[in-house]
Amino acid sequence: MKKISVDHLARVEGNGGISATIDGKSVTDVKFSIYEGPRLIERLAVGRTPEEDVSITPRICAICTLSHKNAVLRAMENALDVNVPRKVYLLRELMHMGEMIESHSLHVYYLALPDYVGFPNAIAMASKFELEVKIALEMKHYGNHIMKVLSGRYIHGENPVIGGFGDYPSIEDLKFIKGRAIQFMPFVHKTVNLFCELDYPGSPEDDTLYACCEPGNNEYGFWGDEIILSTGKKFHRDDYKSLTNEFVVPHSYAKRSRYQGKPYSVGALARVNCLGDRLTDEAGKMYKKFFNNRWKTNPLFHNAAQALEILYCFERIPVLVDEILKISENPALVEYKVKNGNGTGLVEAPRGLLIHHYEIKDGLVDHSDIVTPTAQNAEDIERYCFIAAQKLLDEGKEEEIRDRMELVVRAFDPCISCSAHLAEIKHAPQDDWKTRLHQIHKSKNPIYIGIGNTDLGDDGTGIKLAAKLKNAGIPDVYLEKEIEENNKILEDNSGRPIIFLDALDHKENPGKITLLPLSLILNNTALSHRIIPLISEMMNYSQIHYGYILGIQPESIESGEEISPSVHMAIEDILKHLTN
Amino acid sequence: MKKDKLKIGIYELTGCAGDALLILDCEKELIDIFNAVNIQSFLMANSANIDEELDVALVEGSVTTEREIEELKDIRKRAKVVVAIGLCATAGGIQARFTDKKEWEKNLREVYGDVEMTHTKAVQSKPIDAYIDVDFYLPGCPISKEQFLHLFNRIVKGAPPEHYPQPVCVTCKFNENDCLLNQGKLCLGPITADGCGSICPNYNLPCVGCWGPLEEANRRSEYYLLQEKGFDIEEIKKKMANYSGTKLADFFSQIKKEKR
Repeated sequence: MKKISVDHLARVEGNGGISATIDGKSVTDVKFSIYEGPRLIERLAVGRTPEEDVSITPRICAICTLSHKNAVLRAMENALDVNVPRKVYLLRELMHMGEMIESHSLHVYYLALPDYVGFPNAIAMASKFELEVKIALEMKHYGNHIMKVLSGRYIHGENPVIGGFGDYPSIEDLKFIKGRAIQFMPFVHKTVNLFCELDYPGSPEDDTLYACCEPGNNEYGFWGDEIILSTGKKFHRDDYKSLTNEFVVPHSYAKRSRYQGKPYSVGALARVNCLGDRLTDEAGKMYKKFFNNRWKTNPLFHNAAQALEILYCFERIPVLVDEILKISENPALVEYKVKNGNGTGLVEAPRGLLIHHYEIKDGLVDHSDIVTPTAQNAEDIERYCFIAAQKLLDEGKEEEIRDRMELVVRAFDPCISCSAHLAEIKHAPQDDWKTRLHQIHKSKNPIYIGIGNTDLGDDGTGIKLAAKLKNAGIPDVYLEKEIEENNKILEDNSGRPIIFLDALDHKENPGKITLLPLSLILNNTALSHRIIPLISEMMNYSQIHYGYILGIQPESIESGEEISPSVHMAIEDILKHLTN
Repeated sequence: MKKDKLKIGIYELTGCAGDALLILDCEKELIDIFNAVNIQSFLMANSANIDEELDVALVEGSVTTEREIEELKDIRKRAKVVVAIGLCATAGGIQARFTDKKEWEKNLREVYGDVEMTHTKAVQSKPIDAYIDVDFYLPGCPISKEQFLHLFNRIVKGAPPEHYPQPVCVTCKFNENDCLLNQGKLCLGPITADGCGSICPNYNLPCVGCWGPLEEANRRSEYYLLQEKGFDIEEIKKKMANYSGTKLADFFSQIKKEKR
């Protein structure tokens, strides 16, 4: 088995890696791991006053610090019934635009673009794209400047507090921000054209669900009190858990999210998919010009969507500043009493939906929950990497897998990553399934379920194997029909892994045994036929996460009860291995 | 010429990466920084990183996994000088609040349940000097550009960096701010290391202590002074612990003894 892995994702916020394992002609594993240690921020927030948490929780991330600041402020103000004056609201929006511009321009030009124009990094790219590299840095600097003016410093500014700001920017500061926004416009247009017309590879391509904040009033925007899905469904902010359903996977300290058992995507592409038709003016025109069906299925268009959002921000800033300047008085901090209650704050960080939730009891935070965009995207990052890797493997282009996975991970602009620098392909050793099966057994004893049709030759492999295991006295082995009759078996397994035994067409030599995680099967419908309805109807997402298929390559699935000799040998091999 | 340049590595352990980001945000000086020394390893900025002998290692972040302990010990072995940059590396950062092992374990379970991690085991968050000898400290959450450039200049010239033995109040007075403690606001300026430019008081906000504790400060006296001013004892303790958990643990046990 080969493993393609990017051990340290470079040019990133934090520490993570991506790896794909290849066994013959199948990708048997894709893992997006975060090595970043646990900081327990959600627990640090407990026992603190709301004011202290406004200062502490944004320190989760230096790049998205102001998104976290806006999220915690919105959550606390919802919990404490604080309504900020209009000027404060508008200044916070301006502050958020600064972060969007800073983050997006850094990502599209410095981290994403070098891949598409054939350079290893932005500095090397400068030989051909000198103007772009220089002005993009100016643009990033401009975003930083807005953040500094409004929050107090580049990173972890303390000026925004519950009920307003400690101090306000001067009229000159604001006019400067407006003037610069107008100056940048020609370059901003160039940016949109460049990234919307880039030649994005066709793979990976697959449908997904998109989620973002609903800004209300049929407007585009970066926060709201509801979540909207690309299906049109909406959730109130306090019901965010029906979307996120967080759970833990053993290879990462970042939690995962699935909606109704399926991965979903957040970020600029999600926003453009859900809200793009609300864009007006130049951004609206560009949306109409460039948006097409590929934006709905190909995650690489995150880059194009970010470029479109840069234009939206630069158009919005002069309007915002004019509105702010109309309100001459600087409002004092809104007075409030700390009371018991809950509050949720929804914000669109540059890389997607960010949720902060706090429960306040006796003046202190009693419970907190923070759901970050990268945690929500992790499942789709793995899924799209798998789709891309398997497709390239099918086309015989294994050498391209590493770069393509990096491209996919980077497109999502994950906080921990952006650019991967140490990709390697890991090939599975002979009989890799034995080692991995052993590892599964070591954590918890699995449940085996045999599936198949004994009237169709090798298709009966799973059933025959299960019967033999039963006879040999292996505990917890079931047949397909036993599960259909009594689905309690699947329900009461108390976190034990489930291993399906089946004939699995993975284009190998007959009799080849492979152990595949179930989550990968769901992304590769060509592999198995019978198992899909069974797992999608009867198993929840955590069971799928801890589920596997132990498959044998069939030789023939013509009618007849005979099993081919090669498959028969594989069955005996598994039986021998498990009874030892 | 090139071979005479100092070999420098910049490393990120667990934290928000804000200190590495701040170095990148030194936009105008960045090219000079990269020209003045040989940057051998800087994951956030660079794709090809070399792990060999170093003159200076700048380490950001606190230690929270076994993998990081190994990484850190390896860095120490390779580097002649190790500088802790940022509050997480110097004092443990906000994540070092759970100073009691049992309390930390309980909270880890609350967040991650009983899932056994396969990639690396978590350990209680600690500053890097809990595991290796540290030559110099540059605190701040995040570090300030000015202090970083001062330190960097000195190191490049082979001189030890300057020590800042004063609290935030010194700069705050230079900035002619009205003392917030006199206004009845719980400000940690007097016990917090200087370097931020008294940014919070400049914005009429009390110092939260994000530079970590100042060694030379009379913490005991400040603690009792705040108490005299009528602030709630628990609140003072909590505020002081927010940004300097590990470093203040001894102080708290001393206070506890005095109370008995």
